[in-house]
Amino acid sequence: MMLLSVLLILLVLISLWAVMTPLLLRAAIGLAATSALLTMIMYQLGAPLAAVFELSVCAGLISVVFVSVVSLTHRLPLKEFMKRRQSRIKRFIFLPLLLVAALAIMLTIKLPFQLQLPAADKISDVRVMLWNIRRIDLFGQIMALLAGVYGVLILFRGRKTDGD
Amino acid sequence: MILEFSFRFDQFSIFIASSIAIFTLLIGLYALIFMKGNRASGQFLVYFFLNCFFAIGAVLANNLILLLFFWESLLLTMFGMIMVGGRESYKTAIKAFIIIGITDLCMMVGIALTGQLAGTFTMSAISVSTAGLGGFAFIMLMIGALAKAGAMPFHTWIPDAASDAPLPFMALIPGALEKLIGIYFLTRVSLELFKIEPASWASLLLMIVGAVTIIFAVLMALIQKDFKKLLSYHAISQVGYMVLGIGTALPVGIIGGLFHMINNALYKSCLFLTGGAVEKEAGTTDLTKLGGLAWQMPVTFACFVVAALSISGVPPFNGFFSKELVYDGALERGWIFYAVAVAGSFFTAASFLKLGHAAFLGRSDTKSKEAPWPMLLPMVVIAAACIIFGVYNTLPIDRIIAPILGSHALEGHKFSGLPANMFLVLMTLIVLAGAVLNHLYGVKKSGKAIGAADHIHYAPVMHSLYDRAEKKIFDPYEIGMKLANVAARILYGIDRFVDWFYEVFTVRIVLLFTSLIKWAHSGNISTYVIWSLVGSIAVLVMAWR
Amino acid sequence: MTYLLLFIPFAILILINLFPREKRTEPAFWLGLAVLVFQAGAVVASQFGYWGTILTSQLESVFGFNLQLYKMGHVLVMASALAGATALLVARATLKNKRDRFNFVGLLLVSLIGINGIAMVTDIFTLYIFIEVTALATFILIMLNREQAAFEGAFKYLIMSVVATVLMLAAVSLFILIGGGTSFLDVKMAVISDPLAYTALLLFLCGLFIKGGMVPFHGWLPDAYSSAPTAVSVWLAGIVTKASGIYALIRLMVIFGGLEPLQNIMLTVGAASIVIGALAALGQKELKRLLAYSSISQMGYIVIALGSGTVLGIFAALFHFFNHTLFKATLFANVAAVEEQTGTQEMEKLGGLAQKMPITGLTSAIASLSTAGLPPLSGFWSKLLIIIALWISGHYFFAAVAVLASVVTLAYFLLLQRQAFFGLVPAALKEVREAGPILLIPAVFLSLLIVVIGLVFPFMIQMVLR
Repeated sequence: MMLLSVLLILLVLISLWAVMTPLLLRAAIGLAATSALLTMIMYQLGAPLAAVFELSVCAGLISVVFVSVVSLTHRLPLKEFMKRRQSRIKRFIFLPLLLVAALAIMLTIKLPFQLQLPAADKISDVRVMLWNIRRIDLFGQIMALLAGVYGVLILFRGRKTDGD
Repeated sequence: MILEFSFRFDQFSIFIASSIAIFTLLIGLYALIFMKGNRASGQFLVYFFLNCFFAIGAVLANNLILLLFFWESLLLTMFGMIMVGGRESYKTAIKAFIIIGITDLCMMVGIALTGQLAGTFTMSAISVSTAGLGGFAFIMLMIGALAKAGAMPFHTWIPDAASDAPLPFMALIPGALEKLIGIYFLTRVSLELFKIEPASWASLLLMIVGAVTIIFAVLMALIQKDFKKLLSYHAISQVGYMVLGIGTALPVGIIGGLFHMINNALYKSCLFLTGGAVEKEAGTTDLTKLGGLAWQMPVTFACFVVAALSISGVPPFNGFFSKELVYDGALERGWIFYAVAVAGSFFTAASFLKLGHAAFLGRSDTKSKEAPWPMLLPMVVIAAACIIFGVYNTLPIDRIIAPILGSHALEGHKFSGLPANMFLVLMTLIVLAGAVLNHLYGVKKSGKAIGAADHIHYAPVMHSLYDRAEKKIFDPYEIGMKLANVAARILYGIDRFVDWFYEVFTVRIVLLFTSLIKWAHSGNISTYVIWSLVGSIAVLVMAWR
Repeated sequence: MTYLLLFIPFAILILINLFPREKRTEPAFWLGLAVLVFQAGAVVASQFGYWGTILTSQLESVFGFNLQLYKMGHVLVMASALAGATALLVARATLKNKRDRFNFVGLLLVSLIGINGIAMVTDIFTLYIFIEVTALATFILIMLNREQAAFEGAFKYLIMSVVATVLMLAAVSLFILIGGGTSFLDVKMAVISDPLAYTALLLFLCGLFIKGGMVPFHGWLPDAYSSAPTAVSVWLAGIVTKASGIYALIRLMVIFGGLEPLQNIMLTVGAASIVIGALAALGQKELKRLLAYSSISQMGYIVIALGSGTVLGIFAALFHFFNHTLFKATLFANVAAVEEQTGTQEMEKLGGLAQKMPITGLTSAIASLSTAGLPPLSGFWSKLLIIIALWISGHYFFAAVAVLASVVTLAYFLLLQRQAFFGLVPAALKEVREAGPILLIPAVFLSLLIVVIGLVFPFMIQMVLR
């Protein structure tokens, strides 16, 4: 439980950082970190399948696509960047309020957070599960990987040809 | 409620329907000549005979809805006939249309209420009391009937029509036909549908309307200086006698009223026809320009004399007998009604002495010849009928009118023959003699026939009243139009507001929201993410509430 | 055999990449079109019994929860075939770069696999995976022309998608935690018995709202639609958003439609989307942006129909789903034609195009009126059914919102028509001519379908509803 709580708090903090940072690259890293943390949480909660998928698609591919997009953008001049940084505070002025409101709502609803980790026999061998029960999911995952690869290829190659 | 569209053929309806047919035939013959050369004569004749059809339908209908259909159709043909009168006649046509239209609307309300109260629309099966809502229904129906008959205060379009509409229209519609069906329906309503009692308020109301109509219309008639216009005011005034007679709710009064109705139809159409002949031959109906026509148009003159004596109530013409019956009934209900009726008789006689004197006697300025025979024939036939209905009054009263009431209502009385009350006859003769003396005095005072009524016209109080009446201050239509003007302005304002509401206000509000939404979509991805988070929280709250 | 719908596009995808690099664009186009024709043919054939024993029995086992609605997957497959064919033709006419055209076909096939997967899922995790496949392919499609605005649009879609992914994955892990399984049946059992699973379901729905672009989860949608190449917009608006968001919602509401809080959420979100989408569309100056907001509004109609919680409501939602593909694909094809011929899609610079481009003008008028719900076009019937469903289930207020918003719909489409297709021709556009047949064929075909379905529907409704 302790580990889970720490992970959850970390998740919130890192995702906040990802949202608030003025640099896209940092945001991308934040996103990847968030995904990675989520994977860990999922594994902790006994959903290895979702964890695997989250790691492969979100932490891996989407981040790659993300970074590749970012690399295609221009860098802001320093002056402009500082200005954005200043105005960032203004843009997130309501964020603490929102967080407090969300917390208050969570507490008032009183969700039954009695998480019980499933029994050990329920977590069967990941490989067996993937291949025997989740064949179609595996196919989908392959497709997702394919799309990601496709995208990275197109974008980076496009960048090269743009330079020509 | 099943609507059965049935007709009724009883003594009364057959009598009125056949009268309508005969009058239409005679006046139609006259119209063929009179309208010759008029561009719209074909159109006029179509309306004319359609009008006859609708009128007969209205009289024979035994169902109030069916009656209403024919009744409203009459409005259209009437409008059409006034419209063909000339370039300026549309104003009068619209005036008539609005007055009759509104009163017809009242009648529609009355019919709906009556049907609701009685549970049926079949006239022969309806019997409603005048208490409460029934009283309202009665007044509504009465308004419809009285307006059709041309009683005050729904009369004001008739004098206007006299100068604008074609003359056969005047002879047939306000002169004869509308009286017939208006009084017919009034009789049906008051004696059959509601069965008013002599002591009831409904009876009193009818009598007041009748008396007021008699005296005011005849006073207006007295000062007219136009042949047709003078006749048109008499057409209104005479309705008063009928309404008064029926309003008494006594057998003698009712029979007098109905007899007066048919008599009036006869002599009034005859008078209008002579007026038409004068207009056709002399080219004008202005009394200041006419004169001495008696020698140039002897037949017309003879017919005019017969009809004028009838309307003045001189024995032994028909008008005398019917008026005596009405007087009898009125006296029984109250001396004031009798006094008003007799006064009306006095002024009627005075105005016809003036009219006859000015138009047919005296010096002749114009060269005119006698009218052609198709115009003379109806006049002569109708004038003869005036004499026959007077001398042999047993024929119409005992054979036609008395059976309408049924023998038990008559209680063994006999109303035909010479009047029973010799006091009334004496009074009538004195009044007529007074009218002759008054005429002679007036002619002598003003020096010419047309001024015979000037001493009444310019009498101290009368003068100002007449001036106002001439300016149409008392005309409910004009008052209504002024009110309508105010209402129209208010409605225009409301309309502008509604227009503004839809075309400006709504559009502005929508555009305001649109620009707000556009402003909110700043393109900032963090804003959008926050929206989604807020949305997710809202979804959770909604589901867990 | 159901897997054919997944494997044939996959096989073609590999096949087109085997051609030599210089000559592969043309075969790719035709093979892609062939896949879509096969897909449409499979649906049509299954309706007429040919293939029926194989395909239908398979589909029945797949959609076997509610036999009344087991054909709902067909609607999605058919709609994706129509939108895909339109997108392919538009891409052929508008994408200038040969390699872009080839990549377009490839990515279209990938996302088609995702959509076909969505059409036949029985498992909430599988659903999520195929949604993700579709979304990934679509990010790249949006960025296909490598313009700055397109990057921005794709980036927004990406960010919002990640939020959705997090929500959905969290939900899936909760389902696994509670129920032990992720098939729809397991999930249903879990949701009925456990409040936490219920919360998880709500999170999953929020994810779908983001994917479907419902207000207030819609931030990414107008930018993505308007910045993408028009061919991609056709694909995106015609099917992708709806398949990954709305269809999944329909699929879930078939199972959970009886839960009243869910109905209320659907009604509220639907009404908000209808109103805000329509009002925002009224203020737009670009054709594609206007159509994007119009899409939000129309998706709102589908979702509000789901909120009625009746079988009629779900049928109406599916019907409107299909109709929306027809008229939105037509309108985007028209925008492609206008942009191709005039070089702009800003309404202020356009005018009088109905004289210069009569067929484009006519088809856009038909599609607009169908969107606004004018009889006898197909859009009228679906909107009517939606309103009837809402009225019958007693949601009078929402029925009134639906009716009033369709007035606003008519308003912004009339604005579009007046500014772009009627009025005076600006001096700059004197030489404009009608677009080529490649752009006209899909527009004409789809608007014919709109009219024919509209005319035939009254006769079919008894049969369909039985």
